Amino acid sequence: MSGSKRPWLATSCALFGLLGCGSGGGKTTTNSAPLCASDPGPAPLRRLTRFEYGRSLADLTGVDPSVSQALPPDEETMDFDDIADAYSVSALHAEAYLEVAEQAATTLLGNSAQTTAFAGCDPTGGDMSCVTSFISAFGRRAWRRAMTNDEQTAMMQLYADTATPGPTDGLSAVVATLLQAPQFLYRPEPLAGAGQALDGYALATRLAFLLTGAAPDETLLEAAEHGDLGTENGLLAQTDRLLADGRAAELFVHFANEWWETESVTSIDKNRALYRDWTDATAPALAQETSMFLTDAWQSGPTLTHLLTAPVTFADASLAAYYGLPAPSGDGYQKIALDPTRAAGMLTQGAWMAVHAKADQTSPVLRGLFVRAQLFCTPPPPPPPSIVVAPPVVDPRLPTRQRFAQHTANPLCAGCHTLMDPIGFAFESYGPDGVWRDTDADQPVDATGSLTGTDVDGDLDGVPSLASKLAGSAEVASCAATQWFRYAFGRSEQTSGDLCAISALAGTLTGPGGDFKKMVRQTVQMAEFRNLPPESSP
Amino acid sequence: MKPISRRTILRGAGGAAIALPFLEAMQPRKKAHAATAPQRFVVMFSANGTLPTAWTPTGTETSFTLSPILTPLGPYQSDLVIVQGLLQEGGGGDGHQNGIGGMLTGCPLNPGPFAGVGAPPAGWPTGPSVDQRIAAAWGAPTPYRSLELGVQVGAADDYGRMIYQAANQPLPPIDDPVEVYDTVFSDLHTDPTVLAQQRARHKSILDAVGGEYTRISGQLGSADKQRLDAHLQAVREIETRLTADLTENNAACADPNEPSVDAQSNDSYPAVGGVMMDLLTMAFACDLTRVASLQWSRSVSQVRFTWLDIPDGHHDLSHRSDSDSDAVSKLTQINTWYAQQMAALIGRLQSTPDAGGGTLFDNTMVLWTNELAKGNTHSRQDAPYVIAGNGGGPLVTGRYLSYEGQGLNHNNLLLGILNALGVPDTTFGEADWCTGPLTGLLS
Repeated sequence: MSGSKRPWLATSCALFGLLGCGSGGGKTTTNSAPLCASDPGPAPLRRLTRFEYGRSLADLTGVDPSVSQALPPDEETMDFDDIADAYSVSALHAEAYLEVAEQAATTLLGNSAQTTAFAGCDPTGGDMSCVTSFISAFGRRAWRRAMTNDEQTAMMQLYADTATPGPTDGLSAVVATLLQAPQFLYRPEPLAGAGQALDGYALATRLAFLLTGAAPDETLLEAAEHGDLGTENGLLAQTDRLLADGRAAELFVHFANEWWETESVTSIDKNRALYRDWTDATAPALAQETSMFLTDAWQSGPTLTHLLTAPVTFADASLAAYYGLPAPSGDGYQKIALDPTRAAGMLTQGAWMAVHAKADQTSPVLRGLFVRAQLFCTPPPPPPPSIVVAPPVVDPRLPTRQRFAQHTANPLCAGCHTLMDPIGFAFESYGPDGVWRDTDADQPVDATGSLTGTDVDGDLDGVPSLASKLAGSAEVASCAATQWFRYAFGRSEQTSGDLCAISALAGTLTGPGGDFKKMVRQTVQMAEFRNLPPESSP
Repeated sequence: MKPISRRTILRGAGGAAIALPFLEAMQPRKKAHAATAPQRFVVMFSANGTLPTAWTPTGTETSFTLSPILTPLGPYQSDLVIVQGLLQEGGGGDGHQNGIGGMLTGCPLNPGPFAGVGAPPAGWPTGPSVDQRIAAAWGAPTPYRSLELGVQVGAADDYGRMIYQAANQPLPPIDDPVEVYDTVFSDLHTDPTVLAQQRARHKSILDAVGGEYTRISGQLGSADKQRLDAHLQAVREIETRLTADLTENNAACADPNEPSVDAQSNDSYPAVGGVMMDLLTMAFACDLTRVASLQWSRSVSQVRFTWLDIPDGHHDLSHRSDSDSDAVSKLTQINTWYAQQMAALIGRLQSTPDAGGGTLFDNTMVLWTNELAKGNTHSRQDAPYVIAGNGGGPLVTGRYLSYEGQGLNHNNLLLGILNALGVPDTTFGEADWCTGPLTGLLS
């Protein structure tokens, strides 16, 4: 598979010029209510992502988190893997849950120190009061709340039915069941008065999955049980504790990789006849580079400006050679400074360049479209569904700009492509392999372009000129907050309350001293994060 | 194939299976009673449209010449029904989305979260796919209601889903042969005593799991409740499998070899597909299922057909101009290659004996389809359909049917296929798109 997950194609363009390409969503309201309590959006039932499932299972049972690879991959929409409405379950999927749960149960029951730690006694002897303690304690951690009496009774009955030949069989059946139950695989929240505060358990669960990609740890569950999360200070204390954990950095890397579409670099390939330095090792190295850039950003102050403009990256000797850069001093991947007239944060990462290109050539369309759709949140509007335009023949020996000349010459194409191609042309100094180039088809690269229809319009010449405009754009800040909102809440923005929240988030992202960490911290203080959703229709 | 079948093991119950007399156990056995041969249905998918000029046969209904692309199906020409000239109707998303979502469902897409190209975001289709309707109507007592197999299907999104159990319920294809081997064939390589214990234990666990889904579902709002109820249905389906009869007797049924192929590397695409066709054939021979699909890649497939010396991504190629002779040549080769794969599948089915005599192919219908007619326009007018075999039903094969200019939708074809396989429905998919079973298909 090469390229991005969506084929933004030259040929999809039709009649935009005649209809006009207005700007789309992503705009924020001027509502300044700090917590955005009115008109909140829905909170669809969320299932653990494959990543969250593996990590939670590992925490609970000691099994390797990679067991989650037995599940089908999560449905991805809007570039994110946690959008609730996209999920479905087939019988084979349910069977994979069964198999993995059994594996995790076997692992846990093989570790008497851990079972004893849960129960406060050794449940494998079959003492019923100890078995009860174990089920109750393990259930509380797996389900992120105290089990009800009915639930406890059902599990005790299952134990009685399955504890042959020995108690371990019954215990492992109970564990396997708890790990397939909706209380574990999904995140059901109480259905009660809309707008009321979530109970401590539900809030702890939202917080833990947002910041650690796993179920709450013991400290957080206890804080929930003590009512600590009901106060602003208590909630922020737990938030700051989790934000300082390495897991929060990993979650940020995951979010950013999905937003920038760089996570798909490991599944692309290039035409190796044309790009001879591209080997099996290249894509993993580019992924590693971007992951380290993002981790470093998170640790050192993840401002939007840093993401868009920082002339730094990470490389080892081999990757540096690939880029034609001097080898870093020291072993392994090292942070290296890049030429600020060439490099600009994520926008010049090899992974990003390679994903937003074809196997054998650059793609000003994919690159320009990314900027419109993912950084301005204004993808081109729909064309009339019945219109199709057959593509012209192009000479592959021509430089990129000449090959795309039809996009501006043909008015049917120009309407939309003038919004994408002129941005994409600014990236022309980077080939489809992500490497700097001085020539294209034996002619000097022309990296001039233009940005139109935004709050930072102007002429472009190279990526840094674009990056500095983006870093100064309120629209880009709002879009970054929108992307985060979609990821954090697992859904699209739908109500005025949502737009209010996005506006507040954008403020903490780019306001004085603002960065992604502050925006995350703001997220948990929003009404939409702390309160119950509007009741869904019965 | 390993020379140990499920029946061999069953005959030697008690963990001593392997020690029991092999030779006797391995003798092919005649079926004791002549059961009605099970009917079967397979869908094969390939992506990005074809080149109608190189796909469409010439000649009349019963005297026709196969096109260049369909030439590999020559040995089976008398088993084919080639259908041309229908509109693969669809709606709600972009061309590819409507194509792969509506191809087998005959339904438009709900609004939803999947961004399309130049279209409002679309969701899943509003009804089941034709294979699932068949599976439901047949209600066969097989361990698997249907098997969704894939070859490098890529990201988990709407472009990679074509089978729908019901509205909004996609069934994802498995594209790892080892997973198919481990899951679908596990009963064949598990000792029967262990298997019986495992089944009893799984029954208890799944009962308890089901109880929790019912409990929590009752506490949720309607949309969320639907989501959990669909999950519960999946759990119940596994439970049903635990009680499936394992004594069906077909001498051709044998535990396949454990696959060892790199499932996701581009260049192993043909090899993975070959293994999947082996597994599919064996699943039929062992009567593990009677409905299956084989999804080659996905809508917007970017597979590079390097084994045909084509380094370009398929989807990129499919967008090039009709007057680009390089692209036309490569696309013809790619689609011809897919025709070879269909021929290979037919060949496997035809060389495998069926339980009641004859071969698997005698009682199987294979449908090959595509989400588009033509890649560079995203047109779905004159979408390509090739049927092979009549599934033991009344469909007369060896025909080329053109409906050019009649303004008919593919819903009529899907309904005709249902009727041809003994499902007496009177409409299929979006009601407005279906005017009745396709005239001339049966009769």
